[in-house]
Amino acid sequence: MGLLRYTVWRCLQAIPVLVGILTITFFLTNAIPGDPVSIMLGPTPSAEMVEQIQARYGLDRPLHERYFSYLAGVAQGDLGHSIYYDVPVLTKIIERLPVTAYLVFSAFGFALLTAIPLGVISAKRRNEPVDHVSRIVALIGVSTPSFWIGLLLIIVFSFQLGLLPATGLFLPWADPANVRGAATQFDVVVESFKRLLMPMVALGTLQMASITRIERSSMVDSLQNEYVKLARAYGVDERGVIWKHAFKPAQLPVITIVGLGLSTALGGAVLIETVFEINGMGRLIIQAINNQDYPLVMGTTFMLGALYLVGVIITDISYAYIDPRVSYGEK
Amino acid sequence: MMAVHETQGEEEFADEPTEGGVDEVEARVGLAYTLKQVKRDSTARMGFYIIAFITAIAAFVSIDYYLLDYAMAKAIPFLHHPERDPEVINTLLPPVGMENGLGSGTWEHPLGTDHRGRDILTRLIYGTRIAMTVGFMATAIGLVGGTLVGAVSGYYGGWVDDVLQRITDTIYAIPFLVLVIAFMSAFGRDISYAMVGVGIASIPVFNRLIRSRVVSIREEEYIEAAKAAGVKDRNIILRHVIPNSFAPVLVQATLQVGVSILIVAGLSFLGFGAQPPTPSWGQMLAASRNYMLPAPTFSIWPGIAILVTVVAFNLLGDGLQDALDPRINN
Amino acid sequence: MSEEPLLKVENLKTQFFTEDGTVRAVDGISFEVYEGELVGLVGESGAGKSVAALSVMRLIDSPGVIVDGEVTFKGKTLVGYEETTGEPGEPPELVEREEMLTEEEMRTQIRGREIAIIFQDPMESLNPVFTVGSQLREFIELNRDLSGTEARAEAVQMLREVGIPEPEKRYEQYPHQFSGGMRQRVLIAMALACEPSLIIADEPTTALDVTVEGQILDLVEELQRKYDTAFVWVTHDMGVVAEICDRVNVMYLGEVIEQANVEELFYDTKHPYTEALLASMPRPDRTTGELNPIRGVMPEAINPPSGCRFHSRCPDAREVCRRVHPDLRAIENGDHDGDENGRVHRAACVKHDAFDVGYPESEPLENEATGGFEVGLTQEGSR
Repeated sequence: MGLLRYTVWRCLQAIPVLVGILTITFFLTNAIPGDPVSIMLGPTPSAEMVEQIQARYGLDRPLHERYFSYLAGVAQGDLGHSIYYDVPVLTKIIERLPVTAYLVFSAFGFALLTAIPLGVISAKRRNEPVDHVSRIVALIGVSTPSFWIGLLLIIVFSFQLGLLPATGLFLPWADPANVRGAATQFDVVVESFKRLLMPMVALGTLQMASITRIERSSMVDSLQNEYVKLARAYGVDERGVIWKHAFKPAQLPVITIVGLGLSTALGGAVLIETVFEINGMGRLIIQAINNQDYPLVMGTTFMLGALYLVGVIITDISYAYIDPRVSYGEK
Repeated sequence: MMAVHETQGEEEFADEPTEGGVDEVEARVGLAYTLKQVKRDSTARMGFYIIAFITAIAAFVSIDYYLLDYAMAKAIPFLHHPERDPEVINTLLPPVGMENGLGSGTWEHPLGTDHRGRDILTRLIYGTRIAMTVGFMATAIGLVGGTLVGAVSGYYGGWVDDVLQRITDTIYAIPFLVLVIAFMSAFGRDISYAMVGVGIASIPVFNRLIRSRVVSIREEEYIEAAKAAGVKDRNIILRHVIPNSFAPVLVQATLQVGVSILIVAGLSFLGFGAQPPTPSWGQMLAASRNYMLPAPTFSIWPGIAILVTVVAFNLLGDGLQDALDPRINN
Repeated sequence: MSEEPLLKVENLKTQFFTEDGTVRAVDGISFEVYEGELVGLVGESGAGKSVAALSVMRLIDSPGVIVDGEVTFKGKTLVGYEETTGEPGEPPELVEREEMLTEEEMRTQIRGREIAIIFQDPMESLNPVFTVGSQLREFIELNRDLSGTEARAEAVQMLREVGIPEPEKRYEQYPHQFSGGMRQRVLIAMALACEPSLIIADEPTTALDVTVEGQILDLVEELQRKYDTAFVWVTHDMGVVAEICDRVNVMYLGEVIEQANVEELFYDTKHPYTEALLASMPRPDRTTGELNPIRGVMPEAINPPSGCRFHSRCPDAREVCRRVHPDLRAIENGDHDGDENGRVHRAACVKHDAFDVGYPESEPLENEATGGFEVGLTQEGSR
């Protein structure tokens, strides 16, 4: 009951932020130097063609009019028309989004699967060698540029050892006909996973490190709580004390960090997709900027912002799910 | 049975920690105290020394850039000018003591040469200038902007707070790197826009921090007392609220310098940062991408430079946090 | 005389090895708890009473170590070491006696099952992310070998028993939906529901309002009679002691300094510290309108004073008190050589005849109590 109302309320709260993102991206991209029309038509277009193109993209109207018609369009699911690709922006995004989502989700999966046990063990064995090692790893992890990790992985695993392909990524459910050397769907899954490994690790390392840090400090705090002592005093075994009584309340700050990390990861995807030449959203936005394809720049920026908001809402809801005080409106 | 404690309680209250530990932090602000704490914490000290060292290098090469260009290159033959191609092109040499298909490393180029035959070590050293300038300046912009927005927002509350917070929420909602790229695509690919862009993008970080503290401090008695004494709002914020938020802001700013350096490296890697031939670490990594097979070591050094610098800021930030926050000490 | 104590603590020592030195929080205390008895452990904060109580269950966290002593409970050895050796300032090498329960045995046989605990702060003692009912049920299931549904029924029944209205509904709620007093009732229900022989209550009413405190004490008295569970009640409040305890151990700086029936303690006080504690408490039977706080501050347990540890604040201190450390001895004054069970009144003060160390002839000692120093008041309990 409380949770459902909270969810609805949280989604409604996101609407003004979405409008804000649209506004920022609209005015930023409309300040792009260079005339997209001249890019499309070459250096010496005829006046007639210029007019035609301007009318087609609505460039002949004043800025505020264009802004409101853009907002109205987005409200109806129309993100505009890509100048460079000559397709609706939404079509291009739908084409590119799944790969990025696949990459980002895998990176978080990798990060959570490694960081949670590492952080918990570190907290449990505070100031022991295991803890020191994991803290150093985490410190290095938060300080290393993800794209550099990507380069190093390529050098070692692709160029030196020849184990993994250096570039490209496709989804595990891609059609085998479109994947070179793949006869069955199983081949596609294997190949997809092989291509996923390096970008996933490169993108996930930062998340892994920051989640490890927060998991550790949160668990250290949690293990000192009265209710954890109480569980011990009532004969709960060490595993139950750590993984149930201390663990669940300790996940609240972790969830917050994961939510915030999504923003970093989406930004990181731009770099990682460039390093591994993955045709996802990140590369699309760079290409759009290089082509001065401003409807596409707006659309991709908006979409990444919206994606982050969805992630934040999901983390807020899981926070409320774990902490009953949130959904009952006391916190 | 309670009366006894109430009559005797007064003495005790003075020593009791206030909720949230705000007072404890307050008692420990000030530069002198901070420096003393940093000296005591070994990780913070290490971070501090590394940063001091790199900053010194950055300052040194900046002088070279603006004043002593030619003379310096002459005076220290070991330092080739980072932007000048040598007469003899020895491209993609490996570091000293190593060999690759293109030649073997010499002491003249301890870390080898890049794809245009320039000395990698020299370019790394000159790269500190961009990294440190942008790291510090972007953080300063974010710090000043965020403090301003957060203090005003938290202090006045009401619709001012609502409007400012919705704006920062929006900025925060766009992934950091994407926002800066969009910003730079609008205004230009110059490194100074990168600086401003990263600065603006980090306003929400400081805004949140300051605002939450202002809201909690606003309720405290000494602010009430200042108000009662007729002190103006603006003076209250400047004289009481902001100095009292010194400790957590310092920690956040230190960490943010590291984050900014990482972001700017990423921007340069994508071609949005310092433009060639100005040496920057991110752009060196971008160039190295094309030579990963023949000269793999080319890709290693700039990354290490970034890593060491950012680690230093994180060490200092963590150390400061431990030193300034009594709750974590216990 | 013949009855065996339920819990017997002998010469228990618990120390904390910190950077500043070794804190001798509990320094050789002995006491017994008989079946169905409510025993008070009273003293100022820092006296080591909570540490003593937790040491019984071996729930001392690092850097604390139980370094010596013996704790037996129903014939089982909870704490018992062979000869210990070690450098001062370092945790000693401890060789556990064979019959001493392992950590696993403590967990499965003692904690919760035989000895339950109620902590001081009801707001912190319940896990905020689990429902009250699920926490109760888990501990009941664990310690009484009941199935999930049985444990649930038992939990609801127990909530009703401790006076929580609508227990079925409350079972499904989270701790933040309970008031402090209600949470403490839940914790009492939790302790009783595991059907232990002994409950350790570590200042369970200190964090509550006076009126709620009164209700909780009434509830405990009632349930204690009903279930005949023994209690060790840790408190700093002589008022609480007077209200519910059968017997009392007064602690000062890690030592038990007086041990008596509650009546004897109040009406035939033997130790000046107990006297001071009683004088600092408002009593309807004494008409002087003035309260007499204990003067001076309790010294640190890192460097306890020589001789009698109370000599620095004792109004009756003499020169000899600084030299002679009095141990806890039975009072031999004819009237009180033990109650019907042979439980003797003991005190650790050289004023008593049992010590023939020349107290009457010794010079009075100037100290914080007699006016040598003027130090702030101390007594814990500001809420």
